[in-house]
Amino acid sequence: MKKPSAMAVTVLVLLALVCLFYLFPVYWTLVTSFKFGNEIFTYPPVIFPLRIDLANFFQPSTTAHATNQTAIGSIPWLIDSTVVAISATLVSTFLIAAPAAYSLVRYIRNIWLGRLILFMTMIPEVVFIVPFFLIVAEVNLLNSWWGLALVYVSFAAPFATWLMMGFFNEVPKSVEEAAEIDGLTPYQIFYRISLRLVTPGLIAALILCFISCWNELLYALILTYSPYPTGAETVPLFITSFLITDKSFAWGGLAAAGIFTMLPTIIMGIFAQRYLARGLTLGAVKG
Amino acid sequence: MRLSKTLRVGLVLALPIIVYFAIFFIYPLALLFKEAFTTPTGVLALTNFQKMLTDPVLLTTLQNTFYYFAGSLGLEFAVGFGVAVLLYNYIGRFRTLFRTVIFVPLMVSPVVIGLMWVLLLDSQYGPIDYFIRLLGLQPLNFLGSLSLALPSIIVANAWEYSPFVFLIIYAGLQTVPQQLYEAAAVDGMSRLQAFRYVTLPSIRGVMLVAFLLDAIGVLKGFDLIYVITSGGPGYSTYILSFYAYKVAFVYFQTNYAAALSLLFLAIIATFVTIVLKFTPVEEYLGLRRGKE
Amino acid sequence: MSEVVVENLTKKFGNNTVLDGIDLKIVAREYFVLLGPSGSGKTTLLRLIAGLEDITSGSIFIGGKKVNDLSPRERNIAMVFQNYALYPHYNVYDNIALPLRVRHMSPASVREKVREVAETLHIQDLLEKKPKQISGGQQQRVALARALVRDPSVFLLDEPLSNLDAKLRVEARAFLKRLQKELGITTIFVTHDQAEATTMATKIAVLNKGTITQVDDPYRLYTMPNDVFTAGFIGSPGMNLVRGTAKKIGTEWQFKNDDMVVDLGGVNLDGECQVVMGIRPEHVSLAKDGEGLDCTVSNIEPLGSITFVTVNVGKTSVVIQLSGKIDLEAGSPARLVFDKDSILLFGDPDGKRLRTGPDQV
Repeated sequence: MKKPSAMAVTVLVLLALVCLFYLFPVYWTLVTSFKFGNEIFTYPPVIFPLRIDLANFFQPSTTAHATNQTAIGSIPWLIDSTVVAISATLVSTFLIAAPAAYSLVRYIRNIWLGRLILFMTMIPEVVFIVPFFLIVAEVNLLNSWWGLALVYVSFAAPFATWLMMGFFNEVPKSVEEAAEIDGLTPYQIFYRISLRLVTPGLIAALILCFISCWNELLYALILTYSPYPTGAETVPLFITSFLITDKSFAWGGLAAAGIFTMLPTIIMGIFAQRYLARGLTLGAVKG
Repeated sequence: MRLSKTLRVGLVLALPIIVYFAIFFIYPLALLFKEAFTTPTGVLALTNFQKMLTDPVLLTTLQNTFYYFAGSLGLEFAVGFGVAVLLYNYIGRFRTLFRTVIFVPLMVSPVVIGLMWVLLLDSQYGPIDYFIRLLGLQPLNFLGSLSLALPSIIVANAWEYSPFVFLIIYAGLQTVPQQLYEAAAVDGMSRLQAFRYVTLPSIRGVMLVAFLLDAIGVLKGFDLIYVITSGGPGYSTYILSFYAYKVAFVYFQTNYAAALSLLFLAIIATFVTIVLKFTPVEEYLGLRRGKE
Repeated sequence: MSEVVVENLTKKFGNNTVLDGIDLKIVAREYFVLLGPSGSGKTTLLRLIAGLEDITSGSIFIGGKKVNDLSPRERNIAMVFQNYALYPHYNVYDNIALPLRVRHMSPASVREKVREVAETLHIQDLLEKKPKQISGGQQQRVALARALVRDPSVFLLDEPLSNLDAKLRVEARAFLKRLQKELGITTIFVTHDQAEATTMATKIAVLNKGTITQVDDPYRLYTMPNDVFTAGFIGSPGMNLVRGTAKKIGTEWQFKNDDMVVDLGGVNLDGECQVVMGIRPEHVSLAKDGEGLDCTVSNIEPLGSITFVTVNVGKTSVVIQLSGKIDLEAGSPARLVFDKDSILLFGDPDGKRLRTGPDQV
């Protein structure tokens, strides 16, 4: 269909505005992280800095007085986040979600259980803060990788299960039946055939779980109180510690920390874009 | 007890999730109930729930939560949907570029998003107020004003989640067969009519999924409030999740917090039940009504 | 060796009875075809024999052993699915090898057996490839190889030729028939295509709506169908079927309806009855003036060496098969003659063939 030129221009302008909306906050933060100390607190604010300073990434910010953390200083928290996110993701996806999803789709095909899984993915974290705190404190796992990772499984597992259910549903039954006739036990079929055929779904689940564990704030907030090596504070806590404790914050260092700790998820996001899109639209798009 | 083979295999495979379910759902839920129905002194009573009825903060919180929820959901969905339609109708060189840009907020962690918006919204050094001043208007104190704080959070939320909605709707739009549009053109429909009679019905399922996933994300909202406003100024950005957190871990009233958690759970359950009525779970999972 | 016996087999899905009281005896080394239209239950029957579905009531015996409660694995059967169901993530070699590996055969023997089977089916050059890299015909042979590599006692095929294009299908038919003869495995083959069935089978069971109408060799099925359904289903175009009454006039019998009167000769019936008269197109001809019934040509379908002519006798249509080219046009009049020795009579409304002569069993 031919479009009148005016319409095309309007669309282009609108889209450009949208891009500005999405990009500007990132740009501003990036720019702030590169600014010299005194340039941050100027009025009018400098939109296009002429000089770039990487000090905020590596050295204590000169305007900070309470915090002397910088981007590089976030490494202990990074270690915590990495360990906790990876272990929670692996346990949730491979140990819990994959077999459970397969079971629900091929064996225990119960609608109410399916709805239950969906319901569990929708429960906000806040609801269980009191019991989880009590449980983790009781088994002496506060401020530890174990404690936090186990609690992270609580929201990662149902979500991964839900995701995997859709993917397992797409495995053609005839291939599984052929395997049954060929002599494979149900567990062999699951492990050798079905699981291999849902690799994109598995990757989508792994990535999404990892990202949500990495970004998680609330449980980390209540279950940890110091970073590696004494404790298990994660990256979001590193950043918020800047913001909350001191009102005249080290904006430069803060911005730098923000950019720096974003890198892992950005890298994962770029790398896995096509898996993510597939995972999110599954079921709805297939129709 | 001789179980049918199907059931036996199913249970073995589901064993991890059953164990998980017992530890991370049943037991905590039981604990929640126990805590909620106990007073700080250890007596079993309904005092926590009575307290809820007379708590002024709770009232404000619930109102805020409602506005926050409706506003965020509405804005995110509108923006995400609008952008998807825009990009879908855009035919030009920059298509992939736009798509990549829209993807950006999804790669930033919520805490960092909060940080970004704090920087943007600062009334002294932030660029937004700078531009407002350039226009000759009075600068707006976004994070310090009772009326603007919550809307600011809503906008930040929209920034965070609208790309999510966009992704889903955009993918859905692409599955509408081109032939339908061609038939519509032959039938003499204008672009607007084609949108209304061809596009919208075709993506209804997708819209529902987007809505559902969006709602889940908003319901969980905590990070942005905590980072950007910490509930302030006053109680204007207190939402239920934040309040429960405060009661539990700042005021250390675990019993009352448990009661609030149950309230939240009840609200969620109601909402989810209503939405589930419209979600074709069966289709998604390949389950059919009853046994074959 | 392995014969397959099905005894009073019934299968229900909920309240829906898909198979009702099926009795079959399939002899060892036989190429047995289950033929019927969609929904007749033939695939379900195959899957029950395979063990992919549970039996509602009745029994299945393979090689003399009752297999009702045995899993597919334990029945020593092999199956080829309509869409071949190859493992997409394994290459051809691994696809064929999997059944052997699962039985813990040594890698050396596995290699030997796979090569052997691959050579039999002429796919030895494809072993490294993945299923999506080979053609439909080749995929089918891989599916066959995977099934045969285990030396199964029974070989089950579920419409394996329907995904092939016409020319390949004809080649595959001959190939399968030859292969089965060489290997001598009891084979049960499901199809809805009656031409496929008659060209390949040693015996055919015709299914209609969950019951067996007839089990016979292809020739008898064609010449002596047991009921109206089978008569109409076998052969292309099907048998001409006309409803009317059979009545004795003097010493001879006649078939009569509103449009025609046909001599039946000396048939053996009890009394006047409602019948369906059946006669194949090749047993109807056009007469010179004087004989036969008045009719009008309505359609001419030349096929090269033969021509199918449809004529109308009043409101009844009859299809005639004639040789060579025909100098007739639609609308022209003609005279219709039936070969009365080839006429079959079926009861109306029950549809069962009436035994009207000494040669009709």
